[in-house]
Amino acid sequence: MSREGLTHDSMIAVHFRLNGQECHEIVTPNELLIDFIRNRLGLAGTKRSCDIEVCGVCTVLLNGKAVSSCSMFAFEVNGKELLTIEGLAKRDKLHPIQSSFIEFGGFQCGFCTPGMILLAKALLDENPNPTREEIQEYMDANICRCTGYQMIVESILDAVGKM
Amino acid sequence: MKKLVTSIVGQNLHRIDSQEKVTGRGIYTGDIKLPGMLYGKVLRSPLPHARIRRIAAQEAASMSGVLAVLTRENLPMVFPSYGSYVKDQPIVALEKVRYSGDVVAAVAATEEQIAEEALKRIEVDYEELPAVYTVEESLATGAPLVHEKPHEHREPSYGRGATHLIHEETTNICLHFRYQRGDVDKSLREADYIFEETFLLPGAAHCPLEPHVSVCSFDGDNFTIWSSTQTPFPLRQELARISGVSLNRIRVIVPYVGGGFGSKSGIRTEALALALSKLVRRPVQVSFSAEETFKTICQPQAKVRIKSGVMQDGTFVSRQCELFVNVGAYANSGPMVAEKAGYRAHGPYRISNVLTDAYCVYTNTVPGGAFRGFGAPQVAFAYESHLDTIAHGLKVDPLKLRMKNLLGKGQDYAAGDTPMDCDLKAGLRQVAKAIEWGKRDSGLKGGKVKRGKGLACAVKDGGGTGKLAHSMVKILGDGSALLYFGSVEMGQGIRTALLQVVAKELTLPPERIHVAELDTQNTPFDKGTNASSAMSVMGQAVLRAARDARGQLISTAASALGVGEAAVQVKDGMVVVQERILSFHEVMRLCFSDTESEIVGKGFFKIPRSEEVPLGYISLFWEIGIGAAEVEVDEMTGEVRLLRYVSLTDAGKMINPLQCRGQDEGAVLFGIGQGLFEELVYEEGQLVNPTIVDYRLPSFRDLPQSFITRILVEAGGPGPYGAKGLGEGGTLAVAPAICNAVFDAIGVRMRKIPLKGERVWRAIIRALPTQDSDHS
Repeated sequence: MSREGLTHDSMIAVHFRLNGQECHEIVTPNELLIDFIRNRLGLAGTKRSCDIEVCGVCTVLLNGKAVSSCSMFAFEVNGKELLTIEGLAKRDKLHPIQSSFIEFGGFQCGFCTPGMILLAKALLDENPNPTREEIQEYMDANICRCTGYQMIVESILDAVGKM
Repeated sequence: MKKLVTSIVGQNLHRIDSQEKVTGRGIYTGDIKLPGMLYGKVLRSPLPHARIRRIAAQEAASMSGVLAVLTRENLPMVFPSYGSYVKDQPIVALEKVRYSGDVVAAVAATEEQIAEEALKRIEVDYEELPAVYTVEESLATGAPLVHEKPHEHREPSYGRGATHLIHEETTNICLHFRYQRGDVDKSLREADYIFEETFLLPGAAHCPLEPHVSVCSFDGDNFTIWSSTQTPFPLRQELARISGVSLNRIRVIVPYVGGGFGSKSGIRTEALALALSKLVRRPVQVSFSAEETFKTICQPQAKVRIKSGVMQDGTFVSRQCELFVNVGAYANSGPMVAEKAGYRAHGPYRISNVLTDAYCVYTNTVPGGAFRGFGAPQVAFAYESHLDTIAHGLKVDPLKLRMKNLLGKGQDYAAGDTPMDCDLKAGLRQVAKAIEWGKRDSGLKGGKVKRGKGLACAVKDGGGTGKLAHSMVKILGDGSALLYFGSVEMGQGIRTALLQVVAKELTLPPERIHVAELDTQNTPFDKGTNASSAMSVMGQAVLRAARDARGQLISTAASALGVGEAAVQVKDGMVVVQERILSFHEVMRLCFSDTESEIVGKGFFKIPRSEEVPLGYISLFWEIGIGAAEVEVDEMTGEVRLLRYVSLTDAGKMINPLQCRGQDEGAVLFGIGQGLFEELVYEEGQLVNPTIVDYRLPSFRDLPQSFITRILVEAGGPGPYGAKGLGEGGTLAVAPAICNAVFDAIGVRMRKIPLKGERVWRAIIRALPTQDSDHS
């Protein structure tokens, strides 16, 4: 994050909720949300892949909606609720989606997994009892190269029963 | 100590990386931050072929925040070029660039943005040269040479039937492999029918979701490299060679890898990171963007010409193949891909007379190399499509024609090599039944949307050529165990599966075993995670290491208690000596009293060399890919939809069934990508679709309505408990099964994939008015 030419006036204060907690930070105008999360907040669970808002690997939830953090600015979190993968489990207790992914093979290399799980949460929060087709259509926003998708769908169907 | 009620092997034990991966706590190479770490960015050639007259880096080097600019002027290496087979790829361009995207220079700076700015300030004076992009252009007389001087390369050492031909003139042929048996010319003359076709497959991108990345730290004498790599030990070897240091001064650590699929076998970012860290004496991270990953390595484009001699009754008597692998600007493992494609080209059929010529050819395009399937998908597409052409020509059911000619279990694929180790016909019968082969759906929507079914049966020799592996199992003072092996966890679940093997051998619950981090300073040698070899090759090494550790525990207990070893048993996580039941911990204490100690078990496995086998080493096992597809084709638009797919492969023994299923399903999706969507597109040597906006990856909506995986457990494998490798077979049958289904639906033979709508539509138009589509 180049600081050349930055002045005190050009920095932006953001007040938001991060994984359920009040958070106050200062960001530069062109700081990307993904860099803010990974570097400034030190949360490495959000991964960078295509960097052009196609693959969904960098997915986080902003006010409950799935967004690609590679293509948003950090200042856009102001006044909102940001959920990263680190905020899903409560201490040692995994979220049902997380334990379903483990039980049903919803991940392999794990790189798309944080984004995929958050997208699944957004889906189930919106539509608690989706059909297989509805799951496929909604989750189509994210790419996986390892699993072949079917086991992700089955993981989500299992989570439905537990939520 | 918990008693193991059912065998741990064969259970869907939760992956040991589960917690880390679902919570985002798992560390990948790009997550590593070291104090003082700099960021390296790369300047790439915009031209496909050009001489570099001059590079001026002073302005870039003097920018605030820039600590080094690496060019051919200051490359701090003993050898400037590297490669798996041919040492033909310079770390940064020397006298010329050979493809658009070729590495010209690199910058190390305190921030990524500064490094990227500095790249713009490097001046390069290019003198453009004529370029070649296709195999035809590259082999034409007088074609410009991608590599003018021959480079140091490995001499292949084949066995019976295989040869390596050297071409007299310097050409763009990097390798010419030939396999032959019998007398092809004679048998073609004597055949009742001859069928000949040419098939084309495009280049493809691996698209691992984690792009290439490494971090290198140099302390003045030793290098430590964290890398997203599939081949830590060969990496160590090549980095040692180019930097002129001994192997013990290069340490490669591999965190989780976010997908490999062959893209991470060999040097990618690591030589740059090493050179930069040597220049600046600070840790340097070199990470490629997803677009750069597209321009670093790919699946090479291929052309396969196949000619078969067939008798009246459908018996295959001869097969001649000529295949060209367009390896792009640098060879990587391309020559081995050509070799393997050459050996696999005639397919799993009883054919006495075979002649295959496989060429690995340089062009000025993105370098090709290892890609899931390693040459097998290309030739499987050809021979399985070709078989249906023969069936159509003879007016025979394609299923029956396969049954007539397929190798039976125990029959020779090639004399001297491992015989076919599973029942292909039974597998084919299963998938045919699952797709309801005898039934055909009539057309829908007023006759312009047709449905069809297709089959394919393919194999690849699995386990790699001449692979070897070491492993270590330690039993520590408290009776817990550490497992060391060099196979990389890149999603396939190998760390979990091998832990299950040790759990069984030591009769310990899985929680008592920990898999050590992969660190070449501590982990014993392995040749690389590829060729579906980990479960079989490393599996054997781990099995032996565990048994060695168990044996030492037994002899330790025996000597401590003054009994013969025959009186000692290891059972349910305890050591049983006559009436006494001792924990491992108690045995260790008995033997070593108050001093902590440990038992170190070692295992080693190597695939034997054989002069009788064409490739010089026996094929460890046969990885099979049998598939059946049902498609729907819209004749108005050329759109092909995959309705149903049945995949069948053979695991030998499933150590972890859920992981086996995951690997096969993932492999099938690669095949669906190959058959329907994926294609690298060039214009004048420029890759026009280096991102997933224009390079179409399969997605959730491409799942067929019915997608079934069957995994045989014929117990014929060389790995622990009869296991084989898995993970590539699923790809092999998909594209040909889809194309056979399309032919079944609309009578048009597609010889070029992927089946993009426009390509199919044009083929439909070309086939009108009705003419024999064998000639298209």
